[in-house]
Amino acid sequence: MPSWSAEDRKALAKGELIPGQVLLDGDAAEALPVSPEVPGPTDEEIAEAEQSSPRVAEKFLEAYFGERPAAFLVDPQQLLGTKETREREEFLKYHSGDSEIDLYVYLFDGHQEIPSEVREEEVVERFFSSGKPAVVAYYYLGAPQKTEIQVSPGLGGMVSAAEQRRALSSSVEEALEKPDAYAQLEAFCVQLSIRIYWMERAAGLVGEAPVVPVAVRAKSSPAPKEVSPVVAQAKEWALRYGPPAGIMAGAILIVVAGVVIARRRMRYEFPVFEVSPRLGGSHAAGIGAVISFGSTTQSPSSQRNEVPDYLGL
Amino acid sequence: MKCPRCVQVIHRGAGLCPHCGFGMADMDARHGTENVSLRRLADMAGLMRSRERVSVLAALDRFCRKFPQLFFAVYTGSGQGGGNLRQFGFWLLNRAAFEDVPVERPNEGGILLVIDAESKSASLSWGYLLDPFLKEEDTFLCLSRAHAYWLEGRFAEGTIRLLAQLEKILRRRAQQARRDPERFERKVAPPVKSGEIARRIREGHRQASPSPKEVVE
Repeated sequence: MPSWSAEDRKALAKGELIPGQVLLDGDAAEALPVSPEVPGPTDEEIAEAEQSSPRVAEKFLEAYFGERPAAFLVDPQQLLGTKETREREEFLKYHSGDSEIDLYVYLFDGHQEIPSEVREEEVVERFFSSGKPAVVAYYYLGAPQKTEIQVSPGLGGMVSAAEQRRALSSSVEEALEKPDAYAQLEAFCVQLSIRIYWMERAAGLVGEAPVVPVAVRAKSSPAPKEVSPVVAQAKEWALRYGPPAGIMAGAILIVVAGVVIARRRMRYEFPVFEVSPRLGGSHAAGIGAVISFGSTTQSPSSQRNEVPDYLGL
Repeated sequence: MKCPRCVQVIHRGAGLCPHCGFGMADMDARHGTENVSLRRLADMAGLMRSRERVSVLAALDRFCRKFPQLFFAVYTGSGQGGGNLRQFGFWLLNRAAFEDVPVERPNEGGILLVIDAESKSASLSWGYLLDPFLKEEDTFLCLSRAHAYWLEGRFAEGTIRLLAQLEKILRRRAQQARRDPERFERKVAPPVKSGEIARRIREGHRQASPSPKEVVE
């Protein structure tokens, strides 16, 4: 921590020294002590840095390969943060509960290499011969293309090497599509979990559950169809004017019905005029038309009989 | 107004046809002077089935309800009047006593449809009450409505159609008569005597000429 010298204290007390004055005057650069020039790293140093610890450190080997792992995510180097570790662990646990084949992920840094004296297949044979079948992935953080998978001995006889390779390459491809290392790990785990389902099927480990997911009609109401503006406008009008229009229509209907009933009940009377009898008829002498209906080919007009009846008598 | 025999126009109140001398006496001599007892639907020719008669009777009742002064009657025969339906209809409507028509509806308010199955023809006649309100053309229109049905032998249906058309015409005429009764009264007013015309002309002349007193002033 910086401390005040006695002179500075005195100057400050007298008002001669203002703290930060040097910075405000713009002479900070001049005031700052110039650090001595440091030489840059040499090529050898850079190369050495790049090649630094390509092997997994000895101290972690026991944690990696000393015993069957207690957790599904094996990361003794703590390459992942706490949050990321917890998320991956939860996912792998979920997978384990949902699948007949466990998934173990051994996590290494992208530039690391597993020591040659450690044979991955031997590790798997040693720790995963008994118990639930498992797929073990040796995943390199940031370099998913280096990943290798091993299956437990019991599973190896049931899942072909080709199927294993397809599962690995599919998962790696998924991982490589992601921009950062953690997202790559997440995508890798998800895709491998999916592929393990197909391994389960190949191994005959899937129970009575439906082999192919059955499409079930959603019980929820279907998505509303796109409504044309005309229909929407009509609906709006119906909402706005529907009740009054209904009342009006009802009123019109009642009026029309009333008119019809009134017309049916209506009686028609003629004024009675004094008509002189003619031709000796005491009651009637109104002579109307005579029509013949003998021919189907002629019109009523042409079959109208207007011929005098002289010869009829 | 026409003569049923010669179909010539005759004047109001003519005792005999001025053209052919036709009168009721001619028909009485042919068919008798006694009244004929009939019902409104007299299907003598048997052109309608019993069920069809019921529907025709219902239509006749409806007509009676609509027009309290009128009734409609249907007579079907074969070779009636020697095929002279005008004269036969004229005689029958004057001599018929309709049993199912109330006495307050005399034959003056009757309309008679005569269908002759032998000559395949039909005619309409009406009483004096309808003289101002019905024309020959009206009856032709009504008969035309029934024509297609009668051609197929559907006499009941044709008759019901005819009635419907007749109702329509009479309703309109009744409304017109209520608005303007004089228009119809003029059609049946008794003819003016020639002496009366001369008297009116003279009166008109006197009213038109100014009085001598007015001229002096």
